[in-house]
Amino acid sequence: MKIGTVLRSLLGVAFAAVLFALPAQADTLDDIKKAGKVRIAIDLAIPPFGMTDDKMQPTGSDVDLARLLAKDLGVELEIVTTTGPTRIPFLQTNKADLVVSTLSITPERAKVVDFSVPYADHPSVVAGMKSGTIKQMSDLDGKKVAVVRGTTQDTDLTRQAKGAQLVRYEDDATMALAFASGQVDVLATARSLLPAISKKNPARTLESKITMQTNYLAIGMRKGEPRLLDWVNNWVRTNLQNGKLVAIYKTYHGVDIDPAMLLKAGG
Amino acid sequence: MSYKFDFEFLAERWPDFVAGAWLTIQLTVASIALGFLVGTVCALARVYGGPVLRRIVGVYVEAIRNTPLLIQIFIVYFGLSSLGLKLSAEVSAIVALTVNMGAYTTEIMRAGIQSIQRTQLEAADCLGLTRLQTILHVVLLPAMERVYPALSSQFVLLMLASSITSQISAEELTATANLVQSDTYRSFEVYVIVAVVYLALSALYRFALWAIGLVLFERRRKLGTPL
Repeated sequence: MKIGTVLRSLLGVAFAAVLFALPAQADTLDDIKKAGKVRIAIDLAIPPFGMTDDKMQPTGSDVDLARLLAKDLGVELEIVTTTGPTRIPFLQTNKADLVVSTLSITPERAKVVDFSVPYADHPSVVAGMKSGTIKQMSDLDGKKVAVVRGTTQDTDLTRQAKGAQLVRYEDDATMALAFASGQVDVLATARSLLPAISKKNPARTLESKITMQTNYLAIGMRKGEPRLLDWVNNWVRTNLQNGKLVAIYKTYHGVDIDPAMLLKAGG
Repeated sequence: MSYKFDFEFLAERWPDFVAGAWLTIQLTVASIALGFLVGTVCALARVYGGPVLRRIVGVYVEAIRNTPLLIQIFIVYFGLSSLGLKLSAEVSAIVALTVNMGAYTTEIMRAGIQSIQRTQLEAADCLGLTRLQTILHVVLLPAMERVYPALSSQFVLLMLASSITSQISAEELTATANLVQSDTYRSFEVYVIVAVVYLALSALYRFALWAIGLVLFERRRKLGTPL
């Protein structure tokens, strides 16, 4: 390649960067209403939050929540399929208006996106084989522990289990496969996922060993959208109180969430 | 929404990128070397081997060249471990990349070997060279020289394709990028940096291959002209 060609392509990249940097829009709530549709990013590979049914249609508790939210907004729902690591970039690059994708509230994330009040709680656990002897974090020293890159479990374990060898996968499905096929014997994930992972290989049944922490799931949106944030907050509070969100959670997770506790956590 | 570039995280995270790039180099140099060996042997088998051997190599080449690399990597990493053969992510990556490299090299080297003129082989016969001597001195090196540009491209392509091994938890450059991106949320900056690093690695590989070419091929060194 000639130097001139290189320079020209670099100029092209710089130009594209400038285009990206241009201000895009003023108010997302207005834009949603005007477009008649809300784009919600959901990971469809995290049963039972987001998954596809036997007819390949999206389903799950996050999907039902998104449908309910779109209905109450009076617009159509467009599901933007995402993955764990791309949830927040999808918001930042305006590929989605909201993220409803098992997004836990963390201080790091709060620096770059705004969170609604929580709509569910979400305990993370370290899980292993039934026969395994893990009781505390120090038992993980020198062991391979599977996590999904960029999740709260990844961040927490990096801090709490310094002796553990973290093996990072791109999504829950790959991590589940790594456990089912015997590449790893211990993993850190959401408690809600354990039954689904155990089902993949009955010879390797998972058991929760250590509860790491309880996170709160919330709806994420771009910063600087006070009207959208207000609307979503009121919507979550209303639907926690009228029991609709509790019912959705019960259907898919088989557990009752506690609206009073969530409303308190949301301030 | 306006985007402000922020490369501050580099001050803290640059060692991660260096470690990632280093693993990328290790994975790809190992699989290029091994894959080239596999490919060359298979190419010789495909040209000079008996009908059965030729058919076996043919099946190997077609199976690998007509399936996605990601699937091959998953088969080595998840498939073999389901059967009880547990390879680490890095070893799995090298095995899968080698198998992949071998198939492409087979075809490239076969083209090179078949381009050697019959008269040269006859000349080697007249000089009383054995079959092995003929292959080593008369066939392989000139064959390689003819297809060297195609080989070099394939090597660089493999280096770029190695990014896919991040999917099986090999912590190479792309995995590092995904990790730093998920910690800092500076996705645009991180991927721009990694793209530049890959560009630099490609340039490095091309330079190294050019230098190796000078050492290997006398004509290029002395006359400066390609074959």
